[in-house]
Amino acid sequence: METDEGDMNTALMVDGNAVAGQLQQIFGRDMTMAMARCAACAREAEMGALMVFTQAPGVVLRCPACQAVIARIVETPSAIYLEARGAAFLRMAAQP
Amino acid sequence: MEQPVLQWQAGTVTAIRPETLKTKSFTLALPKWMAHRPGQHYDVRLTAPVTAPDGYQTQRSYSIASAPERMGELELTVERIEDGEVSPYLHDVLVPGDQLEVRGPIGGYFVWEVSLGGPLLLIAGGSGVVPLMAMLRHRAAQHATMPTRMLYSSRTADDVIYRDELDALAASDRTFEVFFSFTRQPPEVFFTFTRQPPTGWTGYRRRIDAAMLGEVIKPFDKRARVYLCGPTLLVEAVANTLVQMELPTEQIRTERFGPSGA
Repeated sequence: METDEGDMNTALMVDGNAVAGQLQQIFGRDMTMAMARCAACAREAEMGALMVFTQAPGVVLRCPACQAVIARIVETPSAIYLEARGAAFLRMAAQP
Repeated sequence: MEQPVLQWQAGTVTAIRPETLKTKSFTLALPKWMAHRPGQHYDVRLTAPVTAPDGYQTQRSYSIASAPERMGELELTVERIEDGEVSPYLHDVLVPGDQLEVRGPIGGYFVWEVSLGGPLLLIAGGSGVVPLMAMLRHRAAQHATMPTRMLYSSRTADDVIYRDELDALAASDRTFEVFFSFTRQPPEVFFTFTRQPPTGWTGYRRRIDAAMLGEVIKPFDKRARVYLCGPTLLVEAVANTLVQMELPTEQIRTERFGPSGA
């Protein structure tokens, strides 16, 4: 598939599957099937289906419906920052 | 499902097999192997001095190509990216006997197991075929018979990964069919290539579009469970078309790997 210069951001986009390892490292469980409700538009989507941009100093997760930022993850040598103001909630299955 | 803590471990490369000019499959033996779910991936991490002299680390996710039935080891198929950080190392430097730091299996969204049933439509763009191959190999290992079709778009016939295995599977399994589409194939090469098309072989010479999807999905209609993996723009276009065809969105699972060739 050719990369359209005018659509560079979309071409660079991946999805929540690409950061599954990072999310699992933070939450201690797979989060790709956890639901995230967008605080902006109230759409719920599996975290695996969120739009994800990794070509930045951190990771940005966006709503697949309205593209609002749901969460950001930044890793430094000594800490991991997770900012999730854009999520009304995350819902995951209770573990037995 | 029980989820052990995700830990890095050193796998040993036991085999490296070229698949196409740009892709190779790497077999890793893992000391802490565990069965994966088809569609999952492993993270691969390179640490200085391999990449840089300052302790710099870099990592990438690679889809598992092998079936979980293959115990103790796993296979990753990796496309070599010209300006990549990790894939050129894997392709050009790594040799059997070397160790590679990996963690996994990872992911739960883009996963298919026999228990999830069918009919199954697998749609691949380029090396997006890799996680779908794990699903097909798992399906074959389980002798499952749910109707399954694969639509595989690549630039040319030479870029098709697992070509022989896919053809053999289609020839031996009446419930599996594969359709290829070549987006860059010059017509004369195309006809040379198809001089002996396998029975029932259907080929296209264009990007995946609504008409093509309509033909491939027809016997499954709205019951199709779709797994779609490839470059982001292909996945976006195909997923939008499937939604326009009124396929229920909960039956469509997607995995995007970024720009073409990333």
